Amino acid sequence: MIALAAVWLFLRHDAFLYQNPVGEITRVKQHTLHHITDEHNNSDIVINQTLTIKLLNRHGNVTVVNQYVASQAMSHQYRIGDQLLLEKIGQHMHILSLKRDMVVGTLIALLVALLLLYNKWRATSWLLLSMLINIGLFAGALILNVHVKNANVLLIFSVLATLFAAASLVLVLGKTLQMAVTLLTTLLTTAMTIAILLISLRLTGNLGVHFETMSYVTQVPATLFMAQTVIGVLGAVMDEAADIVAMLFGVRRERVSVRFIDYWHSGMTVGRDIMGTLINVLFMIFIAETLPMVFLMLRNGNNWAYILDQTMNLGILQTIISGIGIVLAVPVTSALVGWIMSRKVMTP
Amino acid sequence: MNTIGLLVIILFILMVFVGGGQGIKAFLGLIINFFVIFILIILINWQFNPYVVTAIMGTIILAVAIYLGADNADVADTAFKTSVIVVAILMLLSIVIQYFGQFQGFANENSEELEGLSLTVGLSFSHIAMIVMVISILGAVSEAAMAIVADLNEVVQRTTDMTSQSLYAHTRIIGGQILGTAINTLFFGVLGANLPLLIWFVRLKYSLAMFVNAKLLMVEVVTMVLGMLGILLSIWLASWFVVRRYVRQQKVGINNERDI
Repeated sequence: MIALAAVWLFLRHDAFLYQNPVGEITRVKQHTLHHITDEHNNSDIVINQTLTIKLLNRHGNVTVVNQYVASQAMSHQYRIGDQLLLEKIGQHMHILSLKRDMVVGTLIALLVALLLLYNKWRATSWLLLSMLINIGLFAGALILNVHVKNANVLLIFSVLATLFAAASLVLVLGKTLQMAVTLLTTLLTTAMTIAILLISLRLTGNLGVHFETMSYVTQVPATLFMAQTVIGVLGAVMDEAADIVAMLFGVRRERVSVRFIDYWHSGMTVGRDIMGTLINVLFMIFIAETLPMVFLMLRNGNNWAYILDQTMNLGILQTIISGIGIVLAVPVTSALVGWIMSRKVMTP
Repeated sequence: MNTIGLLVIILFILMVFVGGGQGIKAFLGLIINFFVIFILIILINWQFNPYVVTAIMGTIILAVAIYLGADNADVADTAFKTSVIVVAILMLLSIVIQYFGQFQGFANENSEELEGLSLTVGLSFSHIAMIVMVISILGAVSEAAMAIVADLNEVVQRTTDMTSQSLYAHTRIIGGQILGTAINTLFFGVLGANLPLLIWFVRLKYSLAMFVNAKLLMVEVVTMVLGMLGILLSIWLASWFVVRRYVRQQKVGINNERDI
């Protein structure tokens, strides 16, 4: 609790770390400018705010005028106490962004605190370390991708994915047989899934797939989509394979057995139970992300078919591919674990 | 033939092949949830109270995901109970976070897509931001709850003579492992989904200050961290429920023997 408060206080006063001017709003004067109705009969209110901002890493106060729309689709309403990131263009100060690091930082601190409370220190630090390593690897791949001309995007991110899987599994599970088995099934299943995707795309000639609707595109969208898919599928498959393998090893701890068929059945039973919900995880992530755009287009008088095509097309495609990977992981994992275990019993 | 159609058919065949009747149910669950989200969108668009709509639709989505996903009723009940409690806590948290962090709407990076669209639509994007956070954690929370309950149940069934201490030790081992991998799933899912945005940030040489404050990136980070909190809380709560039920069942068993 105290640590949380300390993080919050620090991030609230970390303005000195910034090169841009940072300021805190001390006074807000606002008046309604006018009511507007757009061509689709949506009515909204435009409001003008005069903000007095006390600079935190410079001296003095500045006044900035901010105009926002009540629905806040792209504009912001600012309140007293909000900290802002500013930028000086010519003579005028201009708002770059709300300073959000304290909210995000405090939330992350809360997560770490709870993790420490649940797990022992060691396990938690390994988990966090694996995430940091993965972020590092990812940053490396991003820079490689941006700086190397004609880079093979899919190759870069496939190698990255393999490293990701190896790093996180070693750190979470340790260098054990369990880790090796999980890694093997993960890579095998991911490769199979991507193969299915590529074959289907080839067979149907990309019909009905709108790669051009991807947001924030700065390079060829189709390969970028593949790279995205490799990473997403890998995570889900790794999770599932690890769950099944963990359970099978748990059974083995209680009772050293047995025949291939026992492991196969146990694995399939657990796999069946979790595969549906696992597909849901990715489905929810992909769909939730599209919601703001869906609302905006709906309010702009577009029909559902067009909205689905424009905003949800790639999200749905990605959910389905991930689903295929998740389902494939069940038999692959069960068979592999069963095979290894039954051989291990025979040759002690 | 349409690519998506073909892949849907492949997915369906695989689900039936691997999961049998349960696979069909899970597939149905996905389709139902798709429609539930549809209904949610329509209700919000009609300006119903967003908090009420999200709470009700979230519960329905959880119920569909869990009850159509698992075929063991005990597993499903415990997982459902856990998920509802956890999501309720996280929904409150996301309202607080949205208030302080103002993660709503679009940013300048979206201008290309927004071309020709009216932005004065009279719909609170602040509420929509909250809805997005809640919806995206539903999957992670229910998955973690299901995984731990299903695993523990399997262990309980497989081993006949287990003390509650040994079960407790199992919850720690399995819980720790599920936590690690589930957090990784979410991490990779979010990373994969945001690859284009991250490349954009790197390519256009955004300053570090923008990396840690920019709305589009931070909303993803917040969603991810909320999801991780959800996973942790649901593992915690679900293992507590399982151990408690197991202990109670054992007591009942002993009492019955005494009666005889």
